[in-house]
Amino acid sequence: MSTRLRVDWPSCKGRGLCFEVLPELISLDEWDYPVVHGDVPDDLLGLAREAARTCPTLALRLVPC
Amino acid sequence: MSSPVLVRPAGDGGATVVAVLPGAHVLRDLSAGASLADHRRHTPAPPTLSLADLLVRVRAVDVRGRGGAGFPFATKLEAVAGAGRRREVVVNLSEGEPVSFKDAALGLTRPHLVLDGAVLVARALGCRVVHVVLPGERAGVAAAVRRAVDECGREDTRTRWRLHRAEGRFVAGQAHAVVELMSGRPNLPVTAWQPVALHGYHGRPTLLSNAETFAHVAVLAGEHRAAYAATGTAEEPGTRLLTLDGHGERPTVTEVAHGTPWEELLTDEALDSPVLVGGYHGTWAAAGALRGLTVSRTGMASAGLSLGAGVVLPLSDGDCPVHRTAAIVSYLAAQSARRCGPCRHGLPALADAMHATDRGIDRSARARALVDLVTGRGACAHPDGTARTVASMLARFGDEVAAHASGDCTYRRSSIVADGRVAGGSR
Repeated sequence: MSTRLRVDWPSCKGRGLCFEVLPELISLDEWDYPVVHGDVPDDLLGLAREAARTCPTLALRLVPC
Repeated sequence: MSSPVLVRPAGDGGATVVAVLPGAHVLRDLSAGASLADHRRHTPAPPTLSLADLLVRVRAVDVRGRGGAGFPFATKLEAVAGAGRRREVVVNLSEGEPVSFKDAALGLTRPHLVLDGAVLVARALGCRVVHVVLPGERAGVAAAVRRAVDECGREDTRTRWRLHRAEGRFVAGQAHAVVELMSGRPNLPVTAWQPVALHGYHGRPTLLSNAETFAHVAVLAGEHRAAYAATGTAEEPGTRLLTLDGHGERPTVTEVAHGTPWEELLTDEALDSPVLVGGYHGTWAAAGALRGLTVSRTGMASAGLSLGAGVVLPLSDGDCPVHRTAAIVSYLAAQSARRCGPCRHGLPALADAMHATDRGIDRSARARALVDLVTGRGACAHPDGTARTVASMLARFGDEVAAHASGDCTYRRSSIVADGRVAGGSR
């Protein structure tokens, strides 16, 4: 089963920490909100978890898909 | 054909008058009156059906949700029933969409058919409570349904009714926003980690459906169900409600059998104009594109169109799809709950791009990029729906965008001067 990063959009304040932790999978749009590129490959799972943990508004979640 | 019933969704003082045409099933017996006594003269109290019986009946005609998404009602019912625990039933009358009047029409002319459907579903699911969400922006509808619920409470003491009043905002009727309202929180969309059917009001499995859906369910439980099933096409039996924008005059709500050709519904003038199908979150049909198509999910899908919540908006003569889309996107941007970043920033940017394009400064590439950027990035489908309308305009009216860029508007038969005002008038 693969895993995906989902953003809780009302909670996300565009601080951009997720991008700093996981630039392989996340970029920022012109307003600094994250753009998630595809599912999380196994080798990035650890960093994805860290990105979710690091979010100051807890707006990022790892969900099965 | 008998004459239409005229209703005022905003109440007695309201400016908008909607013509409701008598129909075959959901809109039958309109002239009898809307009170419970009137209703019971032609429609007996709903029977108590088991969940299995109800599932058989809704599956036989493949009832789809009429809030816009067209999700199979049987699948939703099964999901709620299968999730165990205590269940909730919610009738959603909050249309949100300012150009849709079908649920308002039902609330004003046949509220008891809707409530019968809700009672039926509640009994099949073993619920004693039915929640009814009233539209905030339409005081007349809210009052009519409130009155009908009072009458129901006197007839059937087994069912308890809970009324909620939604806010008059475009996104207020969205399923998760409705659950938020019912829970005493702001009536705004929140991130859906699970569908409302599995995790809704108080975390319980919640059958939340649009008012029209319950009306169809009520018909299926009644004596006219065979006639209902014989209406429409073999693939899509039954009928649906449409709001036909009045082409400048008052809107009409009509019950249409699936498979009905558009030529039977619209004037030649409307058929030969661009038509926005499905409302402000809809898709544009080019002039003449509805000719040869029918009112059906599959027929419309083959042409890249969707009926959505059933709004049909033909452009009036002299109105331009580029101009109209820009105005709609401005409206939708202002209706954003402003809680999700991409919607809050992206929709105003999209509106700017569309207005510039309308004024002859081609920002269609920017608009396309914004369409991709906002789609799928919000708690609700508001950015997605707004992007869909823009994308379909750009796909169908590329020539008109090019005409604007070279200083002309074909529809308004005028040239566009550099400061953005339309000059020249009729040529």
